[in-house]
Amino acid sequence: MVTVTLTVNGEKRTASVPPETTLLRMLRDNLSLTGAKLGCDVGDCGACTVIVDGRPVNSCLMLAAQADGRTVLTIEGLATADRLHPLQKAFENYGSLQCGFCGPGVLMSAKALLDENPNPTVPEIRDALGGNLCRCTGYSKMIEAIQVAARTLRGEPAEKTA
Amino acid sequence: MRAFEFVTAKDSNHAVALLAQHSVSAKVRIVAGGTDMMADLKFAPASHCPDLVVDISRAEDLKNIAVTEKGLSIGALVTHNQIMRSPLIRDMFPALVDAAHTIGAVQTRNLGTLGGNLVTGVPSMDSGPTLVALEAIASIAGPGGRREVPLSEFWLGPRKTILKPDELLAEIIIPKQNLNKPTHFLKFGLRKGQALALVNVAASFRVGSVSADGFHGSTTAEWDKDIFVAPRIALGAVAPKVVRALKAEAFLEGKAVTPENMAEAGQVAVTDCKPISDFRASAEYRKDLVAILTRRALEGAYELAKAKR
Repeated sequence: MVTVTLTVNGEKRTASVPPETTLLRMLRDNLSLTGAKLGCDVGDCGACTVIVDGRPVNSCLMLAAQADGRTVLTIEGLATADRLHPLQKAFENYGSLQCGFCGPGVLMSAKALLDENPNPTVPEIRDALGGNLCRCTGYSKMIEAIQVAARTLRGEPAEKTA
Repeated sequence: MRAFEFVTAKDSNHAVALLAQHSVSAKVRIVAGGTDMMADLKFAPASHCPDLVVDISRAEDLKNIAVTEKGLSIGALVTHNQIMRSPLIRDMFPALVDAAHTIGAVQTRNLGTLGGNLVTGVPSMDSGPTLVALEAIASIAGPGGRREVPLSEFWLGPRKTILKPDELLAEIIIPKQNLNKPTHFLKFGLRKGQALALVNVAASFRVGSVSADGFHGSTTAEWDKDIFVAPRIALGAVAPKVVRALKAEAFLEGKAVTPENMAEAGQVAVTDCKPISDFRASAEYRKDLVAILTRRALEGAYELAKAKR
């Protein structure tokens, strides 16, 4: 067994897990954070995306032991107790998700993008979502919502006035 | 996934010591970014699984990008994302940035490392062609210290390298004489995102000039002035490993930089490779791609050469 301590969504959490445990399994099975999803389990679909030390990664491809001591943000850490994150609000307003299975991963990819690039172009958004497969929406409404959330986070009116 | 023991290496020396200690008695595998190893192990038969995994992802001494007296050194643990962000690499070798950008997606590029891509050794790897065209050297760490081999000799075949069980790839060095050499990389996959290359090509050359009387009959004044010096072309996904297009290079050496010669070099490059037919594409289609991508990669390198003048 290996002892893994993470700072998850601002909180120190420790678990003892078998060495072959992925970060995704540890989050879901040991820490009861089931927002990140197990999809393809080989790094293609992005449903397991979480942000480790500021960068989005496939948590299904990272061993929990490799994340020891690092800072992890999951979808559970996005909203506060009384308020959705502007990305979540925009996804809700624009109907950006249908079945929603890809949603936690898409939102974490979008969060990492906006943290680094507050005013992304559409090609930059598409590139940031290149590792998140969605078979429901066709992505258009996600891209719209990400642009709206970006405007909100920049302190601009959510809707374009022109 | 079958259970394994796990140990973390503090740095490359520690990793080598761990390999020396364990690789005789146990099946050991090194994990860096994990993007290939994890996907592999989840479907591997038990006989293929390691007893011990040595994690080198915390070995800070393998994460540097720097110009040294030998050339441009890129640590094996540098991620594809770091290559894309490195001001040094962006300036010297935009082809390496383009190649890194075609690998997987953001999430895998944040985990996956240059060394991992090279060591996994699939013939369609996107890191290989640019580095082979730039005559990169693989610096290998082992019990007796470092040894250096040309990257083109690093692979023995698909997923097979010259690494011994007690060795690890530590560093890639682009030799000094090739620093800033204009180079262009192109990949053709079936999709823009998350697709393996049907063919990938890198072309690199320096531009020389002809003496005043000239020795060729091109019709375009501007093209008249330039000749190919040290052309290097590398092809991926069309042989058991990344290969140099030696006949195409020999064809170009000293010739005028003209659209005709670039197109002809593409045709010659087809004879330098042996693609297979599989469910992604036929061998014939891959050969057509080699001809066209080689020409376009040469054009791209020439554009860069002109921009750098």
